[in-house]
Amino acid sequence: MRPLPAAGPAPARVIPHPEASHAVTAHLGMVIFLASWAMLFAGLFFAYGLVRSRAAAWPPLDQPALPLALPGANVAVAALGSAALLLAARPLRRGDPRAAARSLAAAALLGAIFLALQARVWTSLWAQGLRPDGGPYASVFYTLTAFHAVHVLVGLGALVVLAWRAWRGSRGSGRPVPARLWTMYWHFVAAVWFLMYLTVYVL
Amino acid sequence: MSVPAHALVADELQPIHPAPTSFLRRYLFSEDHKVIARQFLWAGLIFLLLGGSLAMLIRWQWAYPGRPVPVVGRLLLGGSGGVIGPATYQDLFTMHGLIMIFFAITPVLIGAFGNFIIPLQIGARDMAFPKLNMLSFWTFALSQLLMILSFFAPLGPAGAGWTTYPPLSTNVGTPGAGQTLVVAAIFVTGAATIMGSINYVTTVIRLRAPGMTWLRLPLAVWGMWLTAILNVLFVPVLGSAALLLLLDRSFGTQFFIAGAASVRGGGDPVLFQHLFWIFGHPEVYILILPAWGIVGDLVSFFARKPAYWYRGSVLAMVAVTVLSAVVYGHHMFLTGMSPLLGQGFMLLTLIISVPGMVLVFNWLYTLWRGSIRFEVPMLFTLGTIFVFGVGGLTGLFLGDISLDIYLHDTMFVVGHFHFTMAAASFLGLMAGIYFWFPKMFGKQLDQRLGRVHFWVSVVGITLVFGGQLLAGYAGQQRRLYDPFEYTFISHLRGLNRWTSYLAFALFVGQMVFVWNFLASALGKGRAADRNPWQVGTLEWTDAASPPAHHNYDHIPSVLRGPHEFADPAVRQALGRDWIGQAEELPDPVASATGRA
Repeated sequence: MRPLPAAGPAPARVIPHPEASHAVTAHLGMVIFLASWAMLFAGLFFAYGLVRSRAAAWPPLDQPALPLALPGANVAVAALGSAALLLAARPLRRGDPRAAARSLAAAALLGAIFLALQARVWTSLWAQGLRPDGGPYASVFYTLTAFHAVHVLVGLGALVVLAWRAWRGSRGSGRPVPARLWTMYWHFVAAVWFLMYLTVYVL
Repeated sequence: MSVPAHALVADELQPIHPAPTSFLRRYLFSEDHKVIARQFLWAGLIFLLLGGSLAMLIRWQWAYPGRPVPVVGRLLLGGSGGVIGPATYQDLFTMHGLIMIFFAITPVLIGAFGNFIIPLQIGARDMAFPKLNMLSFWTFALSQLLMILSFFAPLGPAGAGWTTYPPLSTNVGTPGAGQTLVVAAIFVTGAATIMGSINYVTTVIRLRAPGMTWLRLPLAVWGMWLTAILNVLFVPVLGSAALLLLLDRSFGTQFFIAGAASVRGGGDPVLFQHLFWIFGHPEVYILILPAWGIVGDLVSFFARKPAYWYRGSVLAMVAVTVLSAVVYGHHMFLTGMSPLLGQGFMLLTLIISVPGMVLVFNWLYTLWRGSIRFEVPMLFTLGTIFVFGVGGLTGLFLGDISLDIYLHDTMFVVGHFHFTMAAASFLGLMAGIYFWFPKMFGKQLDQRLGRVHFWVSVVGITLVFGGQLLAGYAGQQRRLYDPFEYTFISHLRGLNRWTSYLAFALFVGQMVFVWNFLASALGKGRAADRNPWQVGTLEWTDAASPPAHHNYDHIPSVLRGPHEFADPAVRQALGRDWIGQAEELPDPVASATGRA
């Protein structure tokens, strides 16, 4: 005769606060989303590596080399944006939405600077004759940087909304969770930019 | 009976929201996982019928190449007098594959069952992110719309094969807008899948009822959860491939274009194959893991025995999930891959059959000496095991490089993946439909029609896909417009014709199911009991058929695993051979003294 297996009362749990529990769930969802998106970028980096390894010369002899200074400055800009968002976390917890709004707005401004600098890189290369349809070198450069810029743009839009809400003290301003989720997103975008800078511009 | 404190906490963490009353919020833009599950079910089944109809046209072409299609030919192909032209033929097999994989099997097996059973079986009131869940369905519906639109594009829909290999899938090979729409549809459906999968993964981790430990989860939830993890990690890789292809098609980038049409040497068509199969091999397990989970539960439920070596089945599914990420190269043995790398992929591919066999043996041991009830879901479960066995064994042929050189791109490959992805997934999802239909719709499906549907399906599938295996083994290449133009294939005309006749019969047989499903879902079918199959998982024991909007009035406190059958203590105390996962067993001492 087989004894009743694994029957027994449920193990005791630390009783969580509903709000805190929902925050953990939301963070987990964000981590899973970012893991998923990391794979998308991994696919693009894979494409970069394979295309480049097949090329005879990189950059091709008749096409301009990529600049280092402005994209490098953008690594710092993205990192500063991350830092500004970290600063927003504490006033949000304390319940000081105005202070948080200032940090969020600073991060949004840094996002805008990032896009402006990147636009400057694109226009100068475009002026030198580098077009997306000008062969694999141009294709991977424009695709990777533009796809990343779209993510910065999305983050920028979210930060503007968050900052505006926090300043107005309107709906959702009391909840730190959305800001924390977008902070995670921004860290991700900044980290991807660092990798992209190393891969596409430096190496 | 007092409710334990931890259960009250669980109730508080997932408060009951009142059911929406407006039609729009209740049936269309619902956040209720059960409604979304039914939406996915309808959307998927309609496309299953569409994909099956396309298959009939392909089979007509293989039986009578160049002859006008009877009945529907003039209507669909008026321009050619009902004859399937070479370009149309390409569109047919391309759209058949894509529709079946992404728009029929995926939404039913993952979208419908995942949504329906995950919250119910783990004892939750809904998904972790209900709004995201709604968005997932409507994003998916948009992708289906793009697929439909592509049929009306000038030059027809996609024609580059379901794998969409460049250079054929670039503007050079398929210049029409249809191909672009379809690639966009793949990208959009990928986004929908990712949204759904984030929900599944998070929900299982965060919203299990008190006492629902990982090793008390039904195997169906395990299969669904592992599938969701694969989806989260590998669908984005397909997304990157689709994105680059869209850019190549619409913006003149040079990722995949090579040869005369390229600029500055162009990119590399093989790059697409890498990206595609990094996704594509996990994808075949994405489509079979949910079916494995369902089969694992159902053999136990209908053999009235605990699942044999439950932990082994879980471990095997985890092992397959991990290994599925590192075998993709076996799709590319003939792309000039380094033989050393090829051997590595071959070894890993053959190793993956070990956990696969663990699962099959666990199912067989569960059946062994069980009191098997041959209900319709069980018939489909047994059918799944059989066709999956055939599909798995033929996979060993293709995983071996030396044999693959002969069999590559033959109908043998087509037969193999139809046995696994089409037959096993299809029969598995049918097992699921017959099993959960009472819970989903509160009505019973007609069991006699179900039996007819089963026998037509399992015999038809085996013979049709068996015919493909034979044709491929005899050397027939896949995707040929008129295979019999070639002398070395021309003697296979009879085999192809008979396979087509059987395919037509298989298709007609499915109408039994269509009728049964529509009559029960929309008509006045017999009302279903709360627990018609007498099993112990939460959705049957603790929720009505169909469940209330919030699933559970009180979140159940789980006490044991999902497969507690034939326990003498339970029989003595309750007089039946099963016990619910959250059902308290009366104290045996007290009941014994009570009787004395």
